[in-house]
Amino acid sequence: MSDHDFEAIDSLLSSVIEQAVLPEPGVRRELRERARLSKAQVAKALGVSPSTLSGWESGRDPSGEIRTKYAYLLDGLAAKFATEPPAVEDGVDLVDIDPASEETPSEAAALAPGNDEPADDVEALAVPEPCVLCGNPASHRMDGFAQHLDPADCHPTPTPPVAASPAVAPAEPGPAADATPAPAGSAPAAQASPPVSERAVRTSRPASRPASVKPPRGRAFQEESGPGVLIVQAVRAALAEHGGDVDEATAALIKKAIPDAMALLDETRKGARYDIVAHPALPKVLRKQTAKGADQVWEARPKWTRAVPPPGVHEVTALDMNAAYLSALKTHLPIGQLEHSTGFDFDRRRAGIHLITPPTWNHSDVLPNPIGQRDEPGPLWVTEPTLRLLLRLSGPKHQLCEPPEIHESYTSGSTENLLEKFRITLTDARAQAIEDGDSVTLEYVKAMYSKLVSTMGESNYNRELYRQDWMHLIRSQAFANLWMKAWKAHTEGLHVVRAMGTDELHVIGDWRHVFPEGRGVTEVKVKDTYTIGTTTEDHTTTGERE
Amino acid sequence: MPEKNIEFGKYGADGIKGGDAVADQLDKLAGGITTPVTAKRGWTARLNYLTRTGHARAAAKAAGLTVTDRTLKAWLEGKQKPSRASLEKIERVYRVVRRQNVAKHLLKRLNKDGRGTRIEIHPLNQSRVAQRNKRVLTHRDMNVRRWDKLVGAWAAGDHRGLEDAWDDIIGDLGSDWGSYEYVTSVGFAA
Repeated sequence: MSDHDFEAIDSLLSSVIEQAVLPEPGVRRELRERARLSKAQVAKALGVSPSTLSGWESGRDPSGEIRTKYAYLLDGLAAKFATEPPAVEDGVDLVDIDPASEETPSEAAALAPGNDEPADDVEALAVPEPCVLCGNPASHRMDGFAQHLDPADCHPTPTPPVAASPAVAPAEPGPAADATPAPAGSAPAAQASPPVSERAVRTSRPASRPASVKPPRGRAFQEESGPGVLIVQAVRAALAEHGGDVDEATAALIKKAIPDAMALLDETRKGARYDIVAHPALPKVLRKQTAKGADQVWEARPKWTRAVPPPGVHEVTALDMNAAYLSALKTHLPIGQLEHSTGFDFDRRRAGIHLITPPTWNHSDVLPNPIGQRDEPGPLWVTEPTLRLLLRLSGPKHQLCEPPEIHESYTSGSTENLLEKFRITLTDARAQAIEDGDSVTLEYVKAMYSKLVSTMGESNYNRELYRQDWMHLIRSQAFANLWMKAWKAHTEGLHVVRAMGTDELHVIGDWRHVFPEGRGVTEVKVKDTYTIGTTTEDHTTTGERE
Repeated sequence: MPEKNIEFGKYGADGIKGGDAVADQLDKLAGGITTPVTAKRGWTARLNYLTRTGHARAAAKAAGLTVTDRTLKAWLEGKQKPSRASLEKIERVYRVVRRQNVAKHLLKRLNKDGRGTRIEIHPLNQSRVAQRNKRVLTHRDMNVRRWDKLVGAWAAGDHRGLEDAWDDIIGDLGSDWGSYEYVTSVGFAA
């Protein structure tokens, strides 16, 4: 064998290195956000796509060379924050980041009080590395070598050349000193504790984040150019125009909610895969039959009251699902022109309206019929969410009814993501408005989504979008969501007494362990409480009305 | 004319001329009385629209409402009911006058000070065409800046003019513009 061969083997051996250790996914994200780096920035630096980075921050692990790079980046960030207390974020506006607040953390740290003695050479490690002196895991690096800062931690087996440690120990700043809990005589403990990454996370995190400092609110550094800016700008402009008069500004904003919602929708579809087809030729069943009348589509609105309440006297709570139509924007919407088809199997990649014969429903005594309060017998046109709900309930998991019989359909290729960015933008704006107690934005957001849904059909108030099919689908989705909530309450042991409209559910029992209470989109709020029972037939309202 | 549209529908394609589709959409945007002309409420409303002012009467006359003032008076006072032929005439004249009245306003909205209006072109329906004869046709979007010819032809009821105006527009679609001579529908807002 020639030297050349050995060289090749050597280079191969040297390329086989240990996989760099990464902190927990949550910590990765936290580090990036504290550094006010966007996913796009970091992804560009690493040469990967932002979605890949999202994956790494939510549980996946990179491998190979890119892993080493990523570990290096996270290490660097961890070191930065361990030695410097984070900048004070309270004054930072969510969206409008002025240049002053975008200063690098080190500048901010230099201005922050109580940081007189920065230990410039000491870096905290997100993942412990073996100490150069004793070989045990150490969570700090000084002058490029991982080592224990406190000599008490460092117990080398041979004679210790501990020249560096005493020189540094007195100069330790507060936060960094906390990083390694070092009670006197902790040698056995340090030896015994396993060098798992979990420990490293625990030790490095409290150090880098004192309890008094808030993390950046939301995704402040990403929102700068996002569609949410439109909402903030509109609210600001309205308030400025009306001299801060909240009522007038709200009224003005509600008045232009429809065009603004369309503008926001356009903004959120930038660079999207599918165009929104706003004026397709729609089948006759979606046309109004008379000027005032409705078309033939059945939206399955629930209007159900339990005929025989459970025996005894009960306290009933009327729950209100928050922002039901906003959540219902996430539904399978047909993208293009609806095409007619008959006699086929259900295709879950398409969505539209279907002529079905609904199955008989035998649970009306405890649960509402998923197709709503239908009086006429025979086949009817239902929308995609209703059909999917029926198919789901007839499936092997639930087995509540027979599968519906599909006769004909008008469908198109569908996606669930058509309004997704729009929905998320409004949800975020809504959550922020609730947090800030900002009633103007709250009302504005509410008007935008509710008016968009109600005028996206054949309405003269919104001529930019003629999608009766979407309007029906979104409404049906809200009703299907309510039905699933009723089902959840039922399976958790509550008695469902009434399901009404889009968002009203009356239940008996301890509902707080089933539905979280609050104002978020996943939470419920109490509308009313009243008592029913065998003695009093009528509903006696006892207050607590919002 | 682009080739292969000479015998449109020979292989089962279904559609209408693009200009007609635009006219349909313009009619929808123009709105008007929705009650059918056969109902009393419908024809009286149309007659009122056509005789409200001297200008309206002149326009109706020019558009072909050739009945004597005496008959018109009898209709309006309810002493006489228009015959079926007259009802058809009333409907036709009403559409013409309505288009002329709305055209100016609609044109201004569609031109939008030169910014124009985006239109969606939904291609012809090929579902009954044999696979070997099908074309690859997609839904197309384009911005139309100058609507004068289209709206002018629509207001004048000039079928030929609409066709020409449509051919001018779809020239901007690129080399397969000929495939969009016939369409299912054209959508736009105003």
